[in-house]
Amino acid sequence: MRKHLLALGATLVLTPCLMAQKIGVINSMSGPEAPIGENITNGIKLAEEDLKKKGVNLQLVWEDDTGKPQISMSAMEKLATRENVVGVVGPYTSACSNAVAKLAEKYKVPLLIPAAAKEEITRQGLAHVFRMNAPADKYASSLIDAAASLGKPKTIAFIYENTDFGTSTSKTAKDYVATKGIQVVADVSYPKGSADYRSTLAQIKSKNPDLVFMVSYVADAILLMRQSREVGLQPQAFLGAGAGFTTVEFAKERAISDNVISCTQWTDDVNWPGAKDFGARYKAKFGKEPTYHAACAYASMIIMAETAKASGGDRTKTRAALKSGKWNGVMGEVKFADYDGFTNQNNHQMLVQQIIAGKYETVLPAQFATKKAIYPFPKWK
Amino acid sequence: MAVFLQSLISGILIGGVYALIGIGLTLIFGVMRVINFAHGDILMVGMYLTYMIFTLLGIDPFVSVLITFPLMFLFGGFLQKVFINRVLDALAQNQILLTIGLGLIMSNTVMLIFTSDYKILSTSYSSATIKVGGGVSVSTPLLISFLITAAITAALYWFLLKTDTGQAIRATAQDRDAAQLMGINVKRMSIIAFGLGSALAGTAGALISPTYYIFPQVGSVFTLKAFVITVLGGMGSVVGATLGGVLIGITESMSAVYISSGWKDVVVFVLFLLVLLFKPSGLMGKSRT
Repeated sequence: MRKHLLALGATLVLTPCLMAQKIGVINSMSGPEAPIGENITNGIKLAEEDLKKKGVNLQLVWEDDTGKPQISMSAMEKLATRENVVGVVGPYTSACSNAVAKLAEKYKVPLLIPAAAKEEITRQGLAHVFRMNAPADKYASSLIDAAASLGKPKTIAFIYENTDFGTSTSKTAKDYVATKGIQVVADVSYPKGSADYRSTLAQIKSKNPDLVFMVSYVADAILLMRQSREVGLQPQAFLGAGAGFTTVEFAKERAISDNVISCTQWTDDVNWPGAKDFGARYKAKFGKEPTYHAACAYASMIIMAETAKASGGDRTKTRAALKSGKWNGVMGEVKFADYDGFTNQNNHQMLVQQIIAGKYETVLPAQFATKKAIYPFPKWK
Repeated sequence: MAVFLQSLISGILIGGVYALIGIGLTLIFGVMRVINFAHGDILMVGMYLTYMIFTLLGIDPFVSVLITFPLMFLFGGFLQKVFINRVLDALAQNQILLTIGLGLIMSNTVMLIFTSDYKILSTSYSSATIKVGGGVSVSTPLLISFLITAAITAALYWFLLKTDTGQAIRATAQDRDAAQLMGINVKRMSIIAFGLGSALAGTAGALISPTYYIFPQVGSVFTLKAFVITVLGGMGSVVGATLGGVLIGITESMSAVYISSGWKDVVVFVLFLLVLLFKPSGLMGKSRT
């Protein structure tokens, strides 16, 4: 009997330390956003492994939102009320993240968004919502700054998909070019998944812009560039903001992707601690190059899990620790700060890159550059 | 002017492929009165088939139509014989549920096999163009696929108008019971019609794969489009579907330029509603009362 009591006592004492940290993940694992969602899934899986090695016992509850905000929301309700998770990492898209953010605040569950770009998400003063990646305005400003430092563009055309991500990125870009004295000559949004952009691109071509600024997810990016070549759209530079222009698939289409300038949250040649190693291990494990989403998700899960453990699985303490903490890892220095109207936003350094000979090369800022930028865009062959 | 011509030409070329998708759906509806909500997914299967033939055997997507067409015909015939045939007399909503279910099974099976990654079929001519002059250029792959579409449509017209089987299909579409009384094997006609419809959808998939991208959920975009084209043209009318397809292609292309890309679907659906308001049976449809 005494032995049993002893065992029971021991378990009671040890449980809080051994107890698995229950953390929710909301991600687009199926549906049209799944190709990028997969990077997030893999990043988190790698984080789970590394955390185990460090002795952080993790129990992940996976939820698939199929890229739809309403499913994302019900996933959040389930995680918050039924699963009683300490915190949530995800979701992927801006639309889903924005919908879930308000619920996180309602249920007081710390939410760490790894890679959604819409600014508004962390601009609503929500105390429980944290974001790892730089928001949309950074995409726009770093790309336009890069173009302005490379040449003397006077006009710009915008073409973007009519989703949260597309419209918010291009809106901030339009505000930004106004301060730089660059004139907007075309401003076109399109519903994603269209098969034919030729007429739109021909219209843009007739305005002869110096810069063409595009915001698209994976497949549309390839289609847009292919059809730009078809209609002979020839600006000084193609600027691709985010998602679709920073994938391996896009770089592989060398005939149309070479010399396109894009910006990213992360590359594996940047000298942030562990970035190279993360890239190599990711490639060995999943047989693919990681995108920035993978690194964002990895870093987010590490931070969320370690903070949750240090706070003994308490939501309030976890939130406070996320707010006051400071980390340095694969994403460089991370701190969730309040600035420029943002709340709990990591002021992340964006990297400007160009596809040169089928490879992404960092061209700006100078301290991270691997190659010199090619400007203006060479004539189509 | 160049912009106008450019968008008119791309509209017509894209419209040709839309027509092919619409004809398949309208054929199936005409003969069986079943709305095939798996139509887009059948198209997606055609795309993956083309992709596999291209990557494994190295056969050009346009040439592979010769393989895709008969294979998709068999696939369609199989679907009709094993599944659709059982619900021909069932309530419309049950038929719809069945086809939606079949579509889901197809897209999810493909996702299990190929993962959800976007596949891009890159041929040497994927972004090649022919300059027409006046700043207007025509996409080579789109032009080829339009020509193939036109040839297939012409062959289909000939088949439906001139051959015995074709006439039997049309008879079944006009009045199933009367056709049966006249000694037509309506069950076989149904299998042929569904096979043809699937083959047309699969071919459309093959034709757009060099210029579009391939992923398991790509079907839903086209199911909706096919549905609009079919209803616009008149349910069951092959001529109507051809017309509807080209009309929608041009409308999309024109409204993208002169109104806004973001609003082009709205324009298409407004046009669709207007046609339904003033001619509820569709452009070429005869009302069935």
